[in-house]
Amino acid sequence: MSDASVTAALHSTAPLVVIEAPAGCGKTHQGAAYARDMAQGTRERLLIITHTHAACGVFADRTTGLGRHVEIRTIDSLIAQIGGAYHAGLGLPSDIAAWTRRTKHGHKILAARVAQLVARYPIVAAALATRYPTIVCDEHQDSSADQHAIVMALLRQGARVRIFGDPMQHIYEDDAAQGVSPPCDWAVLVGQANAFADLDTPHRWSDGCHALGQWTLSARATLKAGGKIDLTRDLPASVSVAFAENIARNAQGYQLNDAKSVYAAEKKSDSLLILARHNHVVRACRGMFGRRLPMWEGHTRKALEILVDAVRDANGAPVIIAAAVVAFVGATGKGFSPSAFGNQFEQEARELCAKARRGKPATIQELAKHIVDLPDHRGVAAMLRHLAELKGSDSGFSDVAFDHHSEYWDAVRLGNFDDPEAGLAEITNRRTYSRPSPPAKAISTIHKAKGLECRGVILLAGDVKSFPEKPDARCLLYVALSRAKDRLHIVASRTTPSPLFIV
Amino acid sequence: MTVPTILRLKIDRFRGLKTVDWRPSAGLNLILGGGDVGKTTILDAVALLLSPVNPANLPDTDFYGRAINEGFSIEAVLSLPATIGIHSQLKPAWPWDWNGAEAIAPSLEGDAPADSKPVYRVRVRGTEDLELYYEILQPDGSADHFPVALRRQFGLVRLGGDDRNDRDLRLVQGSALDRLLSDKGLRSRMASTLADHAIKDELAVDAKASLVDLDKAFGVRSLPTGLDLQITGGQGASIASMVGLTAQRGTMTLPLASWGAGTRRLAALAIAEQNQGETPITVVDEVERGLEPYRQRVLMEKLQEMPTQAFVTTHSPATISAAAKATLWYVDHAGQIGEIKGKVTEQHRARDPELFLSRIAIVAEGATECGAVQALIGRALGGALAPHGVHVCDGGGHEFTLGLLQALAKSRLRFGGFVDEEGKHADSWKALEVGLGSLLFRWEKGCIEEEIVAAIADDKLEELVIDPTGEKTGTRFWTLAMRLGIDAKDMASIRAAAGDGLKALILEAALGKVPDGKESEKKAYRSQSQSWFKTVAGGQELIDKMFGLGLWPTFKPRLLPFCNAVRGAVGLEGLSDLGA
Repeated sequence: MSDASVTAALHSTAPLVVIEAPAGCGKTHQGAAYARDMAQGTRERLLIITHTHAACGVFADRTTGLGRHVEIRTIDSLIAQIGGAYHAGLGLPSDIAAWTRRTKHGHKILAARVAQLVARYPIVAAALATRYPTIVCDEHQDSSADQHAIVMALLRQGARVRIFGDPMQHIYEDDAAQGVSPPCDWAVLVGQANAFADLDTPHRWSDGCHALGQWTLSARATLKAGGKIDLTRDLPASVSVAFAENIARNAQGYQLNDAKSVYAAEKKSDSLLILARHNHVVRACRGMFGRRLPMWEGHTRKALEILVDAVRDANGAPVIIAAAVVAFVGATGKGFSPSAFGNQFEQEARELCAKARRGKPATIQELAKHIVDLPDHRGVAAMLRHLAELKGSDSGFSDVAFDHHSEYWDAVRLGNFDDPEAGLAEITNRRTYSRPSPPAKAISTIHKAKGLECRGVILLAGDVKSFPEKPDARCLLYVALSRAKDRLHIVASRTTPSPLFIV
Repeated sequence: MTVPTILRLKIDRFRGLKTVDWRPSAGLNLILGGGDVGKTTILDAVALLLSPVNPANLPDTDFYGRAINEGFSIEAVLSLPATIGIHSQLKPAWPWDWNGAEAIAPSLEGDAPADSKPVYRVRVRGTEDLELYYEILQPDGSADHFPVALRRQFGLVRLGGDDRNDRDLRLVQGSALDRLLSDKGLRSRMASTLADHAIKDELAVDAKASLVDLDKAFGVRSLPTGLDLQITGGQGASIASMVGLTAQRGTMTLPLASWGAGTRRLAALAIAEQNQGETPITVVDEVERGLEPYRQRVLMEKLQEMPTQAFVTTHSPATISAAAKATLWYVDHAGQIGEIKGKVTEQHRARDPELFLSRIAIVAEGATECGAVQALIGRALGGALAPHGVHVCDGGGHEFTLGLLQALAKSRLRFGGFVDEEGKHADSWKALEVGLGSLLFRWEKGCIEEEIVAAIADDKLEELVIDPTGEKTGTRFWTLAMRLGIDAKDMASIRAAAGDGLKALILEAALGKVPDGKESEKKAYRSQSQSWFKTVAGGQELIDKMFGLGLWPTFKPRLLPFCNAVRGAVGLEGLSDLGA
């Protein structure tokens, strides 16, 4: 019933239609079908705005054959395009992409300026609204206030705007400090809509566990209403709960007193995501499985961007570059710690490898020599490549391990480019178009798992630290729960229970 | 509704135009100016910029001074309706903001504008490689391709000066007829139909034999055989472009192109008009061509009725007098364009259109001054004024003349003035004098009658009164006698009665002064001036008398510079004196 009413609302002549779309309820299907109908019916351009390149890919797959009638873009790229066209008026250089990457909060500052420009000059939004008479917004809850303001400007200039969103999947903080627009409030947006409809058929579970689908929807309703999910009763067979406590002494550690249920759940599944809110839990989890399970790196390369910035700012000073490399290897893997290698490595860089060394120190000196000889991204790449070789060939380096393989090797690949900025842009671009998908089994943060689905999910650290009584924690919990199609295993805590669970 | 409108046109180094920066009006722009000043080049520039095809060749004469290495550029700021499709291009075209004078890239700097109006900048460049680049200029400083498909959407209508050009009556790509029929499959259907035609069968016997021989020769040389003749198309004109409109003339079917220029042009315009909902920018060179004055008026009415922006050149008074709603522009010899505007010029459009078509116009304050200027300049030119392109215009009184001269000063028209000193608007006259120099002549003390009567010797006053044609002499004496209250109308009686006041009396009668206490007979007194010099003939008479009565040496220092300034304006050298 509701799918039909959603379809009717989308196809109405209403300027603004808002669809509340819980995970797995056919939002992409509805959006893509609407895009196809409109593109074929009107022969006008239709714009699909997403928040991730992955989502662009999904829409692209489902709207093939429509040629240039359907354009699929991330909101950031749309904003960057507007910003590029008017860069001088925004006080920005012409290469907006490089500028946003180089600049802290670049995308946010840009969105704020573009939102201001669009407010000042309705002609800009009017031109876009004429170019794209129909605009479909995917995952609108992830819009920042400025991104939302730009979409609303397009609506005011006559575009038909179709918004899909789920306030319960609003897990990215909008850093209001950079913005200029009032934040987007879902309830207010629903009030502004000329038509509103809910998607409530759990399609994702049609070839999985239907009971799990229903349970996930009711868990969502509970979380949305401010309630607690009852883990003590009425659980479908596909949901299992284990109580285990984190006994790590280190605040950045994660070690369970009893991980049997986790191992068992992992064995049962050939399609699995192991999810945790925090990075340190995810990295600890790699260890739990003897580094057998890969880490899903998603589409961002934060450590690499920091490395590139640091190398640029170092102005060819080997010691500064060496420190940045140590930080980078630390962020993407383990074993190349300051105590084991890092400090010595940095000292070699400081002394320009002047002293004669023997044994392991000589090997470390060889690594530092790359950076001393070529104190830029190319020296860094040579050093990292050498380190990866040593990891396999030199027993002294056997403790070195990489969690973020792709990111590590992207840094090596960067050495092939003359200009690190351009190289980073190129590598990012390639990743955008190749759209890597996660391996059959992977460990991931909840943030990076948003938008993914898989047969089994293990949620680690279901405790108060991960899921306190806060709106964003409710959303994160819902995003984690709703990834599973067949089986969900929750590791909860009795000693530090999450207030979002009844245990 | 927005119609495609050029808000600003910048031409650099195109043909004879070194640089033009022009902000034309919406609606009809009527462009005037002498020969060879570049009026047609301006139209050609618009036509090239919005050309619906990629011009095949670019002659070096399109470059200013044939300096190919410096290139040329034609750029327009356009206001466009959404229907033109600027937003459906592969790459987005970003709007600029029109501030009334130029396209501004939207910016966060300064105060927010109260209002913004989207405009687009397009350009065509000729490069030193003799290539044309069509570009859309983006606010970020980059240039995207301005494709022929988009230009075709403008549907430019062009009625050129070229007599042989009948492209709008043919199925040339992008022509009005092509757009009207808009049958995309026609070209390929025609090609295949023509290809089927057995031309070989129509060959003469000998020709057939030659073809057979050629086929054999091909075979011997291992070249392709089975030779036949068919219409194959080729480089240059497409088959469709050879298709033109025909019509019945008597019993014959003839190409519409064989009708007269006027009919062809009206037909082309009618075809364009038939394209519903389109509002193409229209370019018409020498609108009067082939059209009688009444058909010029019909066409001008049509062009002014249409919501479209039109660029029209003319040399025709009938066209100007019918152009009440048009904006008039004047192109001077330096290719600079000035607007002829203001209410006062609008009246003259209808009344005296030649004012705008002459080489130099002299605005004289009234009928007397008109006559005076004609007589004086006639003497300076040694004959009639018209062959020299000098036109004398009646300004219609002191105030109107000032207004007209001020309006003309804002245009690029060449003009002069011939006026009285009425002790008013000293600053305005001073400003005009600065601009015009000797081309503006003002009497020092009052009007021409006052100056001449004051200068004349007492014993020559009778000769002043006598009308050389004899017609008005009696009336003039009568006006003097009645003002004196005497019956006798002879000079001796009048002189006796007037005494020292004779000059003053003549002046009062000549100017139609109403004596105190006679306000009830105002009309009768005023009209007396008509029988003296307040006519064109009267003005001529005054100048003739200035020479006849030996007054010229008195006035020469002031009038000779004016005469020489007019001579200079029509390319003649100055004179040291005027012959009697």
